[in-house]
Amino acid sequence: MSASSEEIKVLSARRMAWMRFSANPVAIMGALMVASVILAAIFAPVIAPFPDHAGAVIDFRNKHAAPDATYLLGADKVGRDILSRVIFGFRVSLLLVAGVLIVAVPIGGGLGLLAGYFSGKIEAVITGFTNVMLAIPPLVMALAVGNVLTPSLTNAMIAIALLWWTWHARLVYRVSKSVAAEDFVEAARLAGASHWHILTREILPNCIAVISVKTTLDAAFIILFGATLSFLGLGVQPPTPDLGTMVADGRQFLPERWWGVLAPGLAIFYATLGFNLLGDGLRDMFDVEV
Amino acid sequence: MDLLEIRNLDLSFTSYKQTAHVLKDVSLKIAEGQRVALIGETGSGKSVTSKAVLNTLPGNASVDAGQILWRGENLLDKTEGQREALKGIEMSVVMQDPLSSFNPVFTIGRHLEDVLYWADRRSGRKSTSKDRRERIAQTLLKVQLADPERVMRAYPSQLSGGMRQRVLIALALMNKPALLIADEPGTALDVTTQDEILRLINELVAEEGLSLLMITHNLGVVRMTADYVYVMRKGEIVEHGPLNQIFDNPQTDYARELIGAIPPLYGEGVKDQPASSEPPMLQLENVTKTFTAKHILRPDHVTRAVQDVSLDIRKGEIFGLAGESGSGKTTVARMLMGIMQASSGRITIDGVPLEAMQGGRVDRALAQIVYQNPGTSLNPKRTVAQTLSVPLNFSGLEKRAHSHRMEELLELVGLPRHYQARYPHELSGGQKQRVAIARALAANPRLLVLDEPTSALDVSVQKRVIKLLEDLRGELGLTYLFISHDLSLMRNFCSRIAIMLRGELVEQGTPREVFADPQHPYTRALIAAIPVITDAEEAAKPLVTPEEKQRFLVSSAA
Repeated sequence: MSASSEEIKVLSARRMAWMRFSANPVAIMGALMVASVILAAIFAPVIAPFPDHAGAVIDFRNKHAAPDATYLLGADKVGRDILSRVIFGFRVSLLLVAGVLIVAVPIGGGLGLLAGYFSGKIEAVITGFTNVMLAIPPLVMALAVGNVLTPSLTNAMIAIALLWWTWHARLVYRVSKSVAAEDFVEAARLAGASHWHILTREILPNCIAVISVKTTLDAAFIILFGATLSFLGLGVQPPTPDLGTMVADGRQFLPERWWGVLAPGLAIFYATLGFNLLGDGLRDMFDVEV
Repeated sequence: MDLLEIRNLDLSFTSYKQTAHVLKDVSLKIAEGQRVALIGETGSGKSVTSKAVLNTLPGNASVDAGQILWRGENLLDKTEGQREALKGIEMSVVMQDPLSSFNPVFTIGRHLEDVLYWADRRSGRKSTSKDRRERIAQTLLKVQLADPERVMRAYPSQLSGGMRQRVLIALALMNKPALLIADEPGTALDVTTQDEILRLINELVAEEGLSLLMITHNLGVVRMTADYVYVMRKGEIVEHGPLNQIFDNPQTDYARELIGAIPPLYGEGVKDQPASSEPPMLQLENVTKTFTAKHILRPDHVTRAVQDVSLDIRKGEIFGLAGESGSGKTTVARMLMGIMQASSGRITIDGVPLEAMQGGRVDRALAQIVYQNPGTSLNPKRTVAQTLSVPLNFSGLEKRAHSHRMEELLELVGLPRHYQARYPHELSGGQKQRVAIARALAANPRLLVLDEPTSALDVSVQKRVIKLLEDLRGELGLTYLFISHDLSLMRNFCSRIAIMLRGELVEQGTPREVFADPQHPYTRALIAAIPVITDAEEAAKPLVTPEEKQRFLVSSAA
């Protein structure tokens, strides 16, 4: 009886995943773009040419200054450096993303996990409730929340998170349901494992890949959605720099003073694209469908 | 001149800058009208060889050296278009899985007509739809599908597995090829259906004067369908010769091992397991299980999965439950483990009814199960140690004693200790099954339900796993319920067997009695359909009339 003669050569899972990821130049680019956004947000006070312009500074001499050596991307209607405000604007965007995902992913993931594992009433109630929530248009919900509560970053987070978990619930539900039907789940149950053990140790690890891909792709959508909200005046309030608000402000002076819209617009585009490319790369790496 | 000759073919796959040599110096010849078999275990390179001939290799494959000669011309020198023109016309392939080879949204007729249309286009022939349908109907008759019109109108899911396999063969024969490549045909089918398919292929090869390249891991199939045999191992041809020479007088250790691993059905090599004289441990009395699909407007649809089954399993015996897919054998096992409730009837364990036990489920120290597919019965995200710790945690063993017990379990199933840290994908199929057995043993069960534990494994691995199970039974005094469709294995491994057909138990007894003198015509048909590797065994099989055989074939559209 020689079990060792059945020996097979394998690479570790991590190594394989990394090889798949690194063989994909687009994914690497996405990762670099995301990293640059995060670094810019963290080190904003150091990088920004005029850190104080992130606040309520008024400098009418330079209002609407065109891009030049001092103001690389021009100045806004009260003479603040747009480049500095864009860099600080990333902070707000990323805070929003983090806030929403910290609430939405555990709630959605948890409900999806439960619904997929327990069939019957629990499944019916959770999926039914999720479907009802999915029918509410997110923008309408956000407008309602924004008008009932005062517009602020926190309230924008609440408004988005209220509906965002539904997508995670749906996705995790699907994966959890198929994993729950696998033999190893029944084997664990026969071995005496508790529901808690099966949910957290057997099923959840098999959902992690899908959740992380979805979360990365979500970041892009939330940045866009947050920008939409602040464009409508429901997000962060002045003077805090926010990419959506900056686009809204600059819009009044189009087309002559195009720099007021271009820089924050491109910044939204850059961050969104970065998260999307990274998400796609992760999807190929984990080989999952989202 | 040979129809096909492969000369010193070297082939490698490259992925993520890593190169694997899959074929090393492979040479093979098929003469006109010859039946050649290519045998070997999983991953030996059999299918890659056929793909190289057909030009269906994946993009990351590269031929490093060698020639593939078709009627004397090197295919590797030809253009893509020229090779494409050979495919499906001069050489055809019959694939393993008859379901995934079809697009479920198109009818069978549409599939066949498309193939014919494109073949006609390529050969510059004009044909009308009517003419094509005519030719399709003729081909379908040739593969013994009696009602071609109905088959052509059917969707793939409306045909049985055997019928789909016949349609696939028809598809391959449509353009009257010179070479038919059969890649494990019938492997996905029940044994009686497989037998029919192999006979059909043989008849067609003889009638049409085809050459056949049979790719298989089943030596019984080889004996039925080949004259000349190539044995492959790890990308190399280790031995080749006429069928009789390879089977009667194999030269290499590998071929000897491969042939020796086949459990004999009749003859001297057959092993009789000692019968148990202990009292019954588990009893089923008139157990029935029905599944009801509720409909709102139509009457409910009731399926009888198990009907009126009575049996008892004695302590220390290996009770075999045999039958083809859908016969209800797994349902019986699930009921006696309490995973599923019986609709009627009584299940008792040591005289205590199952319902009286906690939650209507057998105690885990009583029964554990080993599943068919080790790929899905182990959690891919958990190491061997984590998998084994589940039953240990819940069996009340102290944490301190865990690692000792785990080492003990791994030793029992013949795996080295350091395998604790491995993930399932780092193990071979046989090793995974050993881990699954260790997990089942961790709860100290008295009864082990083995649900086709070796059907996903290669024969040589199967032999070692069966040996392990036999040893464990002796060492630990276990009782087995062995569920399988592999009757030749059951003949040697079980101390008593029962045969199931469509939810009913049709025969039971010791293997010696059942195989020497099968009472029920279905048992006879089943035994007669098993592919065996010697003529002596073939002669010892029970006789079955064609009418009897037809009765038990899963035929016709649903």
